[in-house]
Amino acid sequence: MMMQTEVIENIKFGILSPETARSISVVKLSVPDTYNEDGYPIEGGLLDQKMGVIDPGLLCKTCGARAKSCPGHFGRIELVRPAIHSEFSKVIYMILQSTCRNCHRLLLNDEHIAEYRNVLAKLEEDSVDIVESSGEEEAVAMGSAAMLKKLKNMKKCERCGTLKGKLKFSAPTYFYVDDYKLKPDEIRDLLAKISNDDLQVLGIDARASRPEWLIISVLLVPPVNVRPSITLESGERSEDDLTHKLVDIMRINLRLEQNLNAGAPQIIIDDLWELLQYHITTYFNNETASIPPARHRSGRALKTLAQRLKGKEGRFRYNLSGKRVNYSARTVISVDPNVDLDEVGVPFAIASKLTVPFYVTAWNIEKARELLTRSEYPMVTNVISKDGKRKRVIDLNREELIKELAVGDILERQLMDGDITLFNRQPSLHRVSIMSHKAKVLSGKTFRMNYCVTAPYNADFDGDEMNLHVPQNLEAQAEAKYLMSPQYQIFSPRDGDAIITNNEDGITGMYLLTKDDNYLTKEQAVYILSIAGVYELPKANKNGLYSGKEVFSALIPEGMNFSCRSGGAPFVIKNGRLVEGVVTKDTYGRGNNKLLVKLGKDYGYDRLKKFLFVSSKVADAYVTLMGVTVGVKEYTTSKKLEDERVRLLQETFVKINKLIDDYKARKLEPLLGYTLRESLERMIIAELNLVRDRAGETLLKYESSENSAVEMARSGSRGSILNIEQMTMFLGQQATLSGGRIRRGYYTNRVLPHIVPGDIRPGARGFVATCYYSGLAPTDLFMHAVGSRGSEVYKALLTARSGYLYRRLSNALQDYSVDSDFSVRDANNNMAQVVYGGDMVNPIYTQFMDLEEEEEKG
Amino acid sequence: MAKQTQNRYLVDYGEPVGIIAAQSVGEPGTQMILRSFHLAGIESTVATSGLPRIIELVDAKKKPTTPITYIYLESGVNKNFEKATELLKKINEVRMNHIAKRVLENFSKGKIKVVLDKQELDSEGLTQKYVASKIEKELDLEAKIEDNGIVVNMHTRNLKEIRAATISLMKMLVSGVDGAGKGTIRRDDATKEFYLVSAGSNIEGIMAVDGVDKTRTTTNDVFAVYRLFGIEAASKALAIELKKTLKEQKISVDDRHLNLLADAMTASGTIKGVGRHGLSGEKKSVFARAAYEETLKHLIHAAAFGEVDRMKGVTENILIGKQIPIGTGSVKLAVKKEDMAKIKPKSDK
Repeated sequence: MMMQTEVIENIKFGILSPETARSISVVKLSVPDTYNEDGYPIEGGLLDQKMGVIDPGLLCKTCGARAKSCPGHFGRIELVRPAIHSEFSKVIYMILQSTCRNCHRLLLNDEHIAEYRNVLAKLEEDSVDIVESSGEEEAVAMGSAAMLKKLKNMKKCERCGTLKGKLKFSAPTYFYVDDYKLKPDEIRDLLAKISNDDLQVLGIDARASRPEWLIISVLLVPPVNVRPSITLESGERSEDDLTHKLVDIMRINLRLEQNLNAGAPQIIIDDLWELLQYHITTYFNNETASIPPARHRSGRALKTLAQRLKGKEGRFRYNLSGKRVNYSARTVISVDPNVDLDEVGVPFAIASKLTVPFYVTAWNIEKARELLTRSEYPMVTNVISKDGKRKRVIDLNREELIKELAVGDILERQLMDGDITLFNRQPSLHRVSIMSHKAKVLSGKTFRMNYCVTAPYNADFDGDEMNLHVPQNLEAQAEAKYLMSPQYQIFSPRDGDAIITNNEDGITGMYLLTKDDNYLTKEQAVYILSIAGVYELPKANKNGLYSGKEVFSALIPEGMNFSCRSGGAPFVIKNGRLVEGVVTKDTYGRGNNKLLVKLGKDYGYDRLKKFLFVSSKVADAYVTLMGVTVGVKEYTTSKKLEDERVRLLQETFVKINKLIDDYKARKLEPLLGYTLRESLERMIIAELNLVRDRAGETLLKYESSENSAVEMARSGSRGSILNIEQMTMFLGQQATLSGGRIRRGYYTNRVLPHIVPGDIRPGARGFVATCYYSGLAPTDLFMHAVGSRGSEVYKALLTARSGYLYRRLSNALQDYSVDSDFSVRDANNNMAQVVYGGDMVNPIYTQFMDLEEEEEKG
Repeated sequence: MAKQTQNRYLVDYGEPVGIIAAQSVGEPGTQMILRSFHLAGIESTVATSGLPRIIELVDAKKKPTTPITYIYLESGVNKNFEKATELLKKINEVRMNHIAKRVLENFSKGKIKVVLDKQELDSEGLTQKYVASKIEKELDLEAKIEDNGIVVNMHTRNLKEIRAATISLMKMLVSGVDGAGKGTIRRDDATKEFYLVSAGSNIEGIMAVDGVDKTRTTTNDVFAVYRLFGIEAASKALAIELKKTLKEQKISVDDRHLNLLADAMTASGTIKGVGRHGLSGEKKSVFARAAYEETLKHLIHAAAFGEVDRMKGVTENILIGKQIPIGTGSVKLAVKKEDMAKIKPKSDK
């Protein structure tokens, strides 16, 4: 049985009163030091063992527990003179401004107060009707904001008529009335006289926080385990920053006390008091504005309380919002097409360390005993008995543990095939960055995954590492299995497109297989189909050969009817047979996945997952069979291609020169809405784009299907015609980040010194007419580098900016969820949408719906 | 929708649509560009696009970096180039410093001489005489046309007064709509109609011009839409702008996510940004605010005023290690503890 614990329903914030501080502390500290000469904590010192212990061998003098189980206890420092908590200065200032120093009431008379209370009550009542508030608390805040403003500007008390005088606040802790400096104890006395009712009008809950408690007279000292000291290798002790700061406070406090007792002159008292105030201010926040931070002997600024909480590495964001976990593993990833989409290959070394809980019940206790007897691999490593005690299983105590085994115990069993795990790659930008995979224990040292699921993780195998987590209870395992499995995540909620699809060789192979007039011998067909788990051969043609399309048909569901466009031609499946068309990226690549949508919609996610897995395996096998490879051969410039290149560029340059001449002669007809100069620039760019496209066409014309680079580009699996073009023909226009041609460089309107100023022909503005294969001219290399450098710099900037955008977005929207009436509400039930998306439709299904509509139209 | 939506395509109860929307917009952020491009036809105007534009929108910036208004014309005007040009001249914001070639202040005589650029005048369809009369009317100064320019006689030699007059003279609106910005004419290739694009966002003023189609004229200035048409329109405008920006970058994001983002930003009745001064900074939960940004500020305020955190949101519950109240965490199993104890295995055979 799981332990029944208390549930935190709400948390109230407040200020500790001096009395509370005294009552919760266990010791009054009086010695401003840590250890005595023997290296033993001084009693009444800052490491007094009454506040807990850190050495594992010692016992806490308050609760008698060891370091591990002692929660630590507070101590206290009684300040001889009070000090202001500088973080609250603004609140103190607000209260002083709002109250009368003579009658200690709010500056407003009863009538006005009643009036404001009415406004507040009304705002609370019908917050929706009043202007633009979304909740009662906000409304109250608005009402009180108006009141505070009024109070701030009031000159005298409405009750007793006393003038407020000039109240000045100087950060961090100084308050002046008509140039008289208020001492902390004077402020405390003023604040203490304000009634709870008046404070309530100001929005302060006086039960939790009386304003006079903002002035510290008893300083609570955190337990030692909050500020542990460490022993260096040299045997020297090094104290925590907080301890250092507390020593400072105590030292000054003691000196102040001695001086007070000795009746020292006021000026010395004031100086020491000021110093005490400084130490207390920096103890809370060592980055307080307008005072110098307290420093370590080495000159490093101390990390005090505020610094522990703040920022990315602070307690909140580092330890509370993000937590470290057990039952997890991390290693390099690599590919294995034989691992299913919803599987992950786990190295044996990891599988034998990670454990899965086995809950012993009356129904499975026999099985549990059997497991516990095992002394090798799938064995039990720990037994957690009913009372929560964890025992490690070793050969010596195995017999005993088997005897003691009872219903309600939990066994920790080593990870086995089929166990549900969570697989994750960082940065986790969307929900498919973490999915559940069934473990498959393999030899080797890397996690193995199917390459179809690389896209959602944005993973590749150039050294990427990924994390694996093992859910530790049945509820978590069930949720992981039925919600986070890859087959349920094939379609993205972003736009309904498939993110888990075939790619790379998976498409190349299918493309080659299904090409028109592609036939396989019987041996080949049998081999390919056996990989797919199909053991019935399709019908052979009259030559005894099997068409690639028939082999593909064996992978899709029987009786399926489907058609779409693929590679610019129709792709038709009739009655479960591919009758026309070739598989390309358009059939199941990202962004064009109608075939997958059809399968998912009509045959279910499991069938779709099976199709993806089987077809990728078949494609791989076929690619291996055919021997698709890429070498220099693919990117070699032929004589014919070179001639074409020269001819194409010549034609383009002539045209562009004509444009420039026309422009100079003012004969150029400007485009609508553009100036003449802009028009010329646009026309030149249009010409250059045209020649790029024409070169691509030429390339396709001259390169046969023997060229596997071209074949890959055609199928859309990897690379584009443009890539090949840049290697074998010319690089083309190098763009700058502002989108236009490169034009900046020298102030004489040229990019490089050997360009004639004012030259705007292609070559002078970053058009590279040479290719990688034949080599770039020095100027061309420079132009090329301009583009590369720019994009590199921008990439760095972009990741930072978009990361912050994402953080803000997810923080603002994280509480919104769909309610049972399909409205969208946040944590406090404030409605953002009456009906989600206007139509209640889950965006993940939009493509299903589109296809359905299309099919109904016929 | 005409067709009854099938049940299996509906969102589930508790679906964390907010997080999904945030991820859908945030994840492709790295694929966006960080640059702006020149707004064709309008000199020195750069249109903000890509990531900076998205950031600007979700920050609820009061004025877009580059306000743009798309002015569509009524049917009698929109196919006629001359009439459209005429209308452009009416709207195009021309100030004195746009058409002034030289300005000479003669302090000893108390006169200001403005020499106008002939070419600019012609292209805006203005005359010296018109400008001079405009000065007299708008600024109540004496303006005369002398040899090659307009001379304003100040009748004073007070240096300060003359300088002030020059400044207001340069800022004076000569023609067009105040705040409409510089405009240009475009042609829609599909419908063959002419429309105007201007680098300003005073849609109120622009819509008041005869011949402007009020039903189609739009701006990228969300706050201008809010002021003129109210919060519902602002929410739509925000979603449309987000969509347009993402589409420019060839990033497909379902409209529902963008609508939710826009609706969340406008749910309070005003447009609020998503950052610490907007939605995130105004959350009820102390912990949610403290864990986001300005940790100290929120904790200090909570302590001094005795605030209560009701632990209803996602962040708060993650902080204390409780299940989050969203998705599968929002449902509970309704079985009494006593009843659970009754479940016993059947006795062994």
